[in-house]
This record gives sequence, structure tokens and C-alpha cells, in this order.
Amino acid sequence: MKRQALIGVVLFAVLAAMPLLGDAYTLRLGTTVLMYGVLAMSWNFIGGMAGYPSFATAAFFGLGAYVGAVTQKFGVPMPFAWALGGAFALAFAGLLGMALLRLRGHYFAIASLVVAEVLREIVNSATDLTGGGMGLNLPVPRLATVEAQAVFFFYAMLAVTAITFAALLATTWSKLGFGLRCIQQNEAAADMIGVNTTLYKTSAFMLSAVFVGVAGGVYASWVHYIEPPDVFDVLHSVKPIVMALLGGVGSVFGPLIGAGAYLFLEEVVWRHLLEAHTAVLGLLIVLLVLFLPRGLLSLATRAKGLAR
Amino acid sequence: MAKIFLGAVLAAAGVAVAGIAGAQQTIRIGAPLPITGPLAPEAVKQQRGYDLWAEQVNKAGGIDVGGKRMKVEIVYMDYQSNTPRAVQSAERLITQEKVHFLFAPFGSGAAKAASSVSERYKVPMIAVTASSAQVYDQGYKYLFGTFTPNETLTEPISDIILKQAPAVARVAILARNDLFPLAIAQEMEKSAKKRNLQVVYFEKYAIGTLDHASALSQIKAQSPHWIFATGYTNDLVLMRKQMADLKLEAQVVTMIAAPAYQEFIDAAGKLADNISSASWWHPAVRYSGKDVFGTTENFVKLFREKYKADPDYVEASAAVSGALFQIAIERARSLDGTKVRDELAKINETTFWGPIRFGPTGQINSLEPPVFQIQGGKPIVVHPKAIAQGNLRLGVK
Amino acid sequence: MLWLQVLTNGLMLGGLYACIAAGFSLVWGVLNVINILHGSMIVLGAYIAFFAYTLWGIHPFASIVIVGVLFFGIGYLIQASMINRMIAAPVLLTLTLTFGLDLMLNNAMLVAFTADFRQLVLDPPLGVMTLGPVVVPVDRLVAMALALALTGFLYLVLSRSRVGRAIVAVRMDRWAAALMGVDVRRIYAITFGLGTLMAGASGPLLAMIFPISPLTAPAYLGKAFVVCVLGGLGSVPAVIVGGIVLGIVESFAALWFGPEHAITVSFALLILFLIFRPTGLLGKKGFE
Repeated sequence: MKRQALIGVVLFAVLAAMPLLGDAYTLRLGTTVLMYGVLAMSWNFIGGMAGYPSFATAAFFGLGAYVGAVTQKFGVPMPFAWALGGAFALAFAGLLGMALLRLRGHYFAIASLVVAEVLREIVNSATDLTGGGMGLNLPVPRLATVEAQAVFFFYAMLAVTAITFAALLATTWSKLGFGLRCIQQNEAAADMIGVNTTLYKTSAFMLSAVFVGVAGGVYASWVHYIEPPDVFDVLHSVKPIVMALLGGVGSVFGPLIGAGAYLFLEEVVWRHLLEAHTAVLGLLIVLLVLFLPRGLLSLATRAKGLAR
Repeated sequence: MAKIFLGAVLAAAGVAVAGIAGAQQTIRIGAPLPITGPLAPEAVKQQRGYDLWAEQVNKAGGIDVGGKRMKVEIVYMDYQSNTPRAVQSAERLITQEKVHFLFAPFGSGAAKAASSVSERYKVPMIAVTASSAQVYDQGYKYLFGTFTPNETLTEPISDIILKQAPAVARVAILARNDLFPLAIAQEMEKSAKKRNLQVVYFEKYAIGTLDHASALSQIKAQSPHWIFATGYTNDLVLMRKQMADLKLEAQVVTMIAAPAYQEFIDAAGKLADNISSASWWHPAVRYSGKDVFGTTENFVKLFREKYKADPDYVEASAAVSGALFQIAIERARSLDGTKVRDELAKINETTFWGPIRFGPTGQINSLEPPVFQIQGGKPIVVHPKAIAQGNLRLGVK
Repeated sequence: MLWLQVLTNGLMLGGLYACIAAGFSLVWGVLNVINILHGSMIVLGAYIAFFAYTLWGIHPFASIVIVGVLFFGIGYLIQASMINRMIAAPVLLTLTLTFGLDLMLNNAMLVAFTADFRQLVLDPPLGVMTLGPVVVPVDRLVAMALALALTGFLYLVLSRSRVGRAIVAVRMDRWAAALMGVDVRRIYAITFGLGTLMAGASGPLLAMIFPISPLTAPAYLGKAFVVCVLGGLGSVPAVIVGGIVLGIVESFAALWFGPEHAITVSFALLILFLIFRPTGLLGKKGFE
């Protein structure tokens, strides 16, 4: 664990220096990578470690975004609004978990997917509170220049990412992490040896929600204007899964690496292949699943194995 | 690791592009468009307008910038019909592609989102297809729009209908739950209530609804005289067909915004007859101005020559947005964002699009939007009187 | 008599929904694979019917057969080449695989056909029938009848043919079926082929009623999910019950809660069923 923690500290220190290198656009990209890093790492708790294929990430993200936005509308300062976004997501995951975590496999996946749809339509209907289909404006932070704003949000997202990473690291090496891995292997057996499966699963589910909720709140402040189809987009559930798969499901660094690699590819493809980017994403996914289901990190361990 | 690499690569690319851009002699106007994704058909329309204008301007030698003639270059970028990407595209166009000015992405939502970028960088942006007043309510100075607010569509049509059929008393409204269609439906409700009409039904339908039968059955049970429906082409075509399926008839059926498009008339066929609508411009209007096209007839003629079809209001709006940049640049005698912005704000001019004056929020407030009706498979203007081609007919079966 | 009209609307819609979901339910129930491609295949079938009609005058009814046969072949190939590798893999991977394939197909359709909505307009149109207080569009009625016929065809295949019995055997217990001499891999491929056949064949039916565009694919997929959960996996009658229940629920939900909530209500119902009765109204114990 210590080694991973050290690598993590170095990584985040380097990232913190990024604003010195890039312009506002690069920072925007960087902030996006960090945000997806949070989403992918969060998914890892429930999907990677516990083995429950959750598609609820979009629901938590949208919830965090709207809670953050609406509370800001009522004058709550940004950091508190973001924290509230996380808190709501946490509570929601707890309640939802009670209902959904009894399901397995496909049923769990579908139920979690549908939750985002239902939330989206609820938000869409509450027009007075959320602006409904017309979207919600956020107050622009009173920061002098474009660059200052870009830097501010980069650091905000970096902070969230760092906290999520720390939580993932801590969980992986704790009793909770061990318990989750047992659950993934064989839930009935884990139950028999005394693992409190309900508590552990619910904790993992809640962990998969809280940071996503905060990230949602930061996102809303960052873009100043949100609409239900943007923040409850199913791709916010799917991309983190692909990123985790790409990097290495269940590992500590995998999701983050996957997020960086995926978004790098996406940026390159967007520039050059106008019409085919979704197809390319699809192709990537297919190849990944068929030939590299353990992700990029597994290439590294294989290489290490060969090198011995 | 990947992220640092990414940052370095992009920074280097940015520098390279800036280097190339620095040696330019053209006026670059950024146009983020939904070239792929659900909104792709709209992107085509905007693109046609921009390209026609750029072609005409460059044919005439370019725009006069304080004595120097410079050609125009439109820089397109695909934001995949995704609003956050639209914002990203706007920023990329400014910082990497070094555009001087921006055309807004399609529609009210994306335009509003992208306007925060243009405002921060002080780059003038003209919203080509954004009518809802909510788009312009952020107090921004660098955003302008060529569509008048939604009530300018609902007020005249209400007047005309009541004049033609004073017995109309019950109105049913069905709106798509999306920024523009909902906003304009809300304006319709206000216009109806103002005239003491009874709004017997007002509901929203979700984006992607495949079946309107329940809503239409309910409307039928209320026996309205006037049905007002909003949505995009596919929604309204389906709705019209289901109305016929359920034998729902009314004195007046108004739909916004599809009937202005030829695609609607083609898809609905005979069912399109006597459907009324309003929009911000129509090829039948007649204005004469100082812009590069001169008169409406000339614009329509040039458009027909290039694209073998009549222009609709989106295509015309795109072209006039270019023409407005041209007028402002020539008056400002420079490409400086703030100076051009000031000239745009001062414009008081007629163009082929109509009289142009921007209000304090940047939205145009000088147009008199035409009301039209599909008769015999063709859109016929019924208002304003000066350019009317026919009268409003009642009864939709 | 508003409710009678709404009920009729719901029944007709329900028949269509059953047909949409039949193939999906089969693949899920037998292979334990959720075929995300299902919605896009329906749309592709609809496009083929559209172009066949507008370019060559082939009536959609005939297209049903053509598309059906064609798609059986396509499905068989997909299964044999890709999905067979994944049969024992965790749910997540198979789901993601079909998701990726769907992205490719959907993008390909968007590029080939553009997002513009097409409408297959029958000439001469089938018109409208009035039965007492209720108005019934004939094209929907015919489509519903054909949808039920198609679903009935599937039922016959499953219950009467040797291949069908083999499929049911594999569904019940694949190891036992293998021991009895059933070539399980081939059965899997045939089942997937049947699933895509049903998807493709529903396309021409839907083309007569709804506007066609790649953008509608997720909506059809969503309906298929809900029907399977409501009705239950494992049998054709379950699919029919699920479809009709969904059609009626949606129509009345639009009436009572407003049209914008119709879809939300059906999803909420989905979640409730998943929590309290995952096997659905008629389902035998589904795969986990």
C-alpha cells in the first residue's frame, strides 16, 4: 500500500503543476480527464471490487449536478453546494442500495440504468425548481479572467480526484476491500464466513456515489448551464465502465489510467474522424472486451512477468 | 502519465496552430455545428446559409477592414449534438483556431451554454437559431440573436385567428419538453389567456415519445377549436398522423416549428393542408437593404441557384448573421472584438432578413414575423398584410 | 368513452411491444445475454422496408419475410463469431460487448441514412375504422395482428420443432442438454439468429406506424427491457402478457399523469417489479 500511496502522491503533485504548462483549453481537457477519473474510480468500488455491474453513475452525477446547481440558485456558496451534492448522492445511494442490492447480474444492471432515466424525467418535470427541459443557469464565479476560472476549476476537480483516489486506496487495503473481493468471488461463501455482505455492498454502493455527486456539483458550476439530458446522459455511466475496463478493473491505478487513455484517444479521434467517432468508440469497446478484458494494467503485469 | 503526455502534446499542437494562424490574411469566423448526432439536419441548414454568404462576400473581394480587403473563412467544428461539447468547441475555436468571431451552435440551449465562453473571451457571437428570451438573460454583452422573442410569434397569430374566426374559444396546447418548444408553448398560453380564450389542455410530452395517442384522445374529449402543438419535424409529423388516426379535427391547427420546412410537407403529405404556423422569415417577404444580398428576392434567387431549393428561415438567418458581422466589421474598421461588438449593438438597418435593431439583451426586437399556412402543399403567407399571399383557411380534418 | 379509446390504443400498442420484445426475451432467457443491438436491428429492418417500398414498391408485409431471413443469418454470424467466446464471461463483459457493437451499428446507420426521420407512407393509406365510440386506425390494427402472428410463429417454432425443443432444453439446463446430445454452441447461434430475426421482422411493421431514424433505437430497446421484466423471461406467452400490460399502462399513465410521465411510469414499474417480483408476471425463474 505504501508504494501505491507514494506513486499517488507524486502523480498528483505533477498534475497540480499542470496549470503552469497549459492554456485554458488544455486545462479544460485536463479537468475533463480528472472528472472521468473520479467517475471511473468511483465505479470501481461497486463494479470492480464488489462485482456488481452498476450503471447508476449517471444518476448520481446528475443528482449531484442538480443539487449543487439548485442550492447555488438559493445563494449557497460553491464549496458547500458541491458538498451537498455529494451528501444527497450518498443518501440516495444508501436508500437505493436497500432496494437494488438484492438483485444480481443483469437485473441489477438494468435497474441501476433505469434509475437515471427516472431521475431525469423527474427533474424534467419539476420545471419550477429545476427549469425542466429549459435548463438551469448558474451564477458565474466572480473571477477576473478566463484563465483564472480554468485554473480554479482544475484545482477543484483535482481535489475531488485526489480524495477519491485516497478513498480507493484505503478501501482496497482495508477489511472492507477484502470483504468486497470475497463477495465478488462468491457471495454465499462470503456470507458464511461472516462477512456482513449487506453492509459491505451498501458501503461500496454509497462510496460509488458520494464522489460522483461532488464531481457533478463541480461540473455544474464549471459549465454554468445544465439540462437534464446532459447530466443524466447514459454515457456518463458507460464511459467510466469502459475506462475501468481499459485500465484494469478492480485495481487502484487502473481506472485513472483508463480515463486518461480513453480521453486521449477520444480527442485524437474527434479531431480527425468527423463522422465515425461513436463507431470507433464501439470498436474500441469490442476489441477491449474480446482481447483485453483485464485492461492495460494487465499488459504491464504480463510484461513484468516475462521480464523475470 | 497519460495526462501529462496529453497536456504536452496539446500544448505543442496549440503553439503550432497559433504559429500558422498568425500568418493569416483572412477573417476567421467559427461555426460549431451538430454535424453528427440527432441535430445533424439543422447543421446542414446553417452551413448552407454561412457558405452562401461567404461565397458572395469573397466573390465581391472580401470585407473592407479599415481600407484593407480581407476574405472570409468559416471554420467548422462538430460538437456531435452534445451541449457540453458545443461549449468545448466554442472554446477550442477561440483558443486553438484563433477565430475572430463566432456563430452560435444550433438552438437555444447550446447557444446559451456557449455564450458564456464568448463572453469570457470577449468574442462577439451571433445566435442564429435562438429565440427564447431565456437565452439572453445572463446580462452578456457579446451575444446577439437574429430571432425575436417567442411572443412575437404567438401574438400575431392569435390576433389573426380570432379575427377570422371569432367563435374560437377553446385552445389545447401540447408541447415537447425541450427549451424552445416548451418556451413558445408557454407564450401561447399567455397569449390565449390575454384574449380570454379557455386553455382546456396544456401538457408536455417527453423527448423521444413514440406515441401521442393518449394525449390526443384526451384533447379530442375536450373538443377544442384550436390545437397548438410544438416540437421538431418528426414529433409533429407523427402527431399529425395520429390526429388523423383518431379523427381529431379542429377549426385551427397551429404547429411550430416544422411546417416551415419542406421535409414536414413531404412527410405529412395531404395531412399538412391548412396547418398554420409562424416563423421569423419566409421567402415571400420583401425587404430591401444595404447588405451584401440587397433584396430578399436576390437572396432567394442566389440560394436557389446554388442549392436548387428555396431557403427556409434557418438558412436565411445563418446568411444574415454573416452579413451583420460584415456590416459591423466595416463600420468598426477593425477586427477588434470589442469594437465590432459595439457596432453590432448600434445597428439600425434593413437587410433582406428584415429591419435589424438589437435590444439591450442583444436579441433582435425589430422583426415582424410572418404567419403562414400550408395550402395545397405550399406555404402561403397570410400576415403581414403587405406581403400576404392569401387568407387563412379554417378547418383541419 | 375516453377510457375505452385509451384502452384500445393501449392494446394495439401492446401487441407491437410484444413483438418488439419477443426476440430480446429469447436471447436473454436462453443465452443470458442482453442484446443491446436489438433496438438498432429493429431500426435497420425498418429502413430496409422503407427503401424497399419507396425504391422498388415492395410492400412492407413482404419485407417482413425478407428481412427476417436476412437477419437470421446476420444474427447467427454475430453469435458464432463473437458472442460464443463470451458465453461464460461475467455479465458486465457481454453487456459491454453488445453495447460496443450497437454503437458501431448505430453510427453506421447515422452515416448511411442520416438522422432525418423517414416516414413510410402507404399508398393507398389503410384508413380508419370507427367501432362505436372508438376510432381504430387500420394500419395499427393490421400491424398488431401481424405482430401477434409473428410472435405466434416463434411460439410454434419453440414448441413444435426439434430445434425449438432443443432450445428450450438448453434454456432449462445446458449441461444436461449437452449430455443428451444437443450441440449447445450451434443452438446458441440459432437462438441468437432467431432473436435477430424477430427484431428485424418487427422493423417493417413499425415502419408503417412510427417515423424511422437511428435515434429511435434506444426507445425500442427500453420497451423491450420493460416488457421482459413485466412479463417474465422464458416463454412467449409471458412476452405477450408483458407487452400488452406495458401498452395499457403507458396509455393510461399518459392519460392520468400527463404524457410527459408515461415513460417514467413504465420505468418506475420496471424498478418495482425488479425489486419485488423479478420473475415478472408469468416468468419462470429467470437467469441471474
